[in-house]
Amino acid sequence: MTRQELASYIVEKYGDLMKPLESGKYDPLFVVEVDKLVDIAQKLKDDENLKFDYFCNLCGVDTNENFEAVYNVASITKNLRLDFKVILPYDKAEVESLQSVWPAIGWYEREMWELYGINVKNHGNLTRFLLPDDWDQGFPMRKNWDAPDFKRMPEK
Amino acid sequence: MADLRTEEFVVNMGPQHPSTHGVCRLVLTMDGEKVVKIEPVIGYLHRAIEKVCENRTYMQCIPILDRFEYVTSMSCNYVFSLATERIAEMEVPERAEYLRVIMLELNRIASHLLFYGVTAMDIGALTPFLYGLRERELIIDLFEMTCGQRLTYNYIRIGGVSRDIPKEFEPKCREAIKIISEKMADYEGLLNENPIWLKRTKGVAVLPKELAIAYGVSGPVLRASGVQYDLRKNDPYCIYDRFDFDIPVGQNGDCFDRYMLRLNEIRESIKIITQALDGLPEGDIKNKKSRMTYKAPAGETYTRIENSRGEMGIYLISDGGKKPLRVKAKGASFNHIQVLPHFGTNMFIADLVANFATLDVIMPEVDR
Repeated sequence: MTRQELASYIVEKYGDLMKPLESGKYDPLFVVEVDKLVDIAQKLKDDENLKFDYFCNLCGVDTNENFEAVYNVASITKNLRLDFKVILPYDKAEVESLQSVWPAIGWYEREMWELYGINVKNHGNLTRFLLPDDWDQGFPMRKNWDAPDFKRMPEK
Repeated sequence: MADLRTEEFVVNMGPQHPSTHGVCRLVLTMDGEKVVKIEPVIGYLHRAIEKVCENRTYMQCIPILDRFEYVTSMSCNYVFSLATERIAEMEVPERAEYLRVIMLELNRIASHLLFYGVTAMDIGALTPFLYGLRERELIIDLFEMTCGQRLTYNYIRIGGVSRDIPKEFEPKCREAIKIISEKMADYEGLLNENPIWLKRTKGVAVLPKELAIAYGVSGPVLRASGVQYDLRKNDPYCIYDRFDFDIPVGQNGDCFDRYMLRLNEIRESIKIITQALDGLPEGDIKNKKSRMTYKAPAGETYTRIENSRGEMGIYLISDGGKKPLRVKAKGASFNHIQVLPHFGTNMFIADLVANFATLDVIMPEVDR
């Protein structure tokens, strides 16, 4: 299946759930509703013609207007690549965990939670691992984050 | 003896531990000499590379991303350049593509030679380390000759490469790969029939195929588990589809297969380099649009390449401005550390060291 064939297959089969995005270059990019996320992920993995069994990457984004979570998945059996994203308003930054579909996503979701403050429901292990354990300076990857003056931080 | 009770206890392996290849801490729950539970603790090398990239122009991102995975800096340069080129749909001159392939493959050999050395040293053999680093030096010298740097190259740029190779590069490169291909017999002769080495690696820490795919394991570790998946063939980029080379695949997914597979990959890389040197065309080395102030048009893409450790990816989002909106760097080692607790238990702590070494984890790629 070529990239165009994959894009049209998905539009045809899951068109009501996944909307194609023009901004995606090279590999097809779709946007999905946040409450259908787990459902769609499972369908993409189970679909006989797609078999997206391999999780590549999860990318949290702050676009200055809202948050996004971009999922990059691949299929080893069918040799395909696909991206899909959810758009999350600032006041409702929450996604469902996809660990039941792709176990590899666990640490990526943790990282997104830690750096963007996007909550991941049903994750089970949302703890800090990149930043210091006693970090209390907010979510550093957000665009409105001000770097604290580390030189003046009081001794603990 | 029948009612001899054992008690579990916790051992801290790392962060400063020679066999964790950087600063990784493994909190081990032990039952005598057996590992019962592994809890990796990472983040000691977090340098906020992704945040730094958001505050730099596209060209300025490249030297920062050198530090993302410093053993194969060429790949880091390349994956970011490729991402930008895909968004901008930029053409790259033929000669630059060939030079990129030569550099990427030389870098892969250098990385695998380092792997060969440090893995053997972790398991307790010192000589391979000296052998591996001796030949790696030949490649590092080639890089130094080309771009002046020995470790962080900043050589592959958006739309091409930063400078052409000097005249003496080609003979020196041919000589280096000839020496390395001759020395391969030495490398294998030193370990492959060594009974201690075989006992320490054969059948140790088997990573099953299904677990590897579920946890996003990639590169040599995935292929050693019997999955034939190499992005150079499966998701071709650059001009890899023009070269004739094979993808070595392992059978058992144990430490020995992971080690052997990398040695076989060196042979395949030598094939690619020879073909690329033979076919190296004359011409430009850079797209005319490639300048220090380069701005990519709006768009986003996930770009992945086959690094020596596995899949290296960049999710790049451009809003058309001077700086990228988001640069997300993915390194294969992140997944390799994540999967470790799921197959690395129920073995001796010494086998864990062998296992960790053959995963070839590099910490800056994990913490970014």
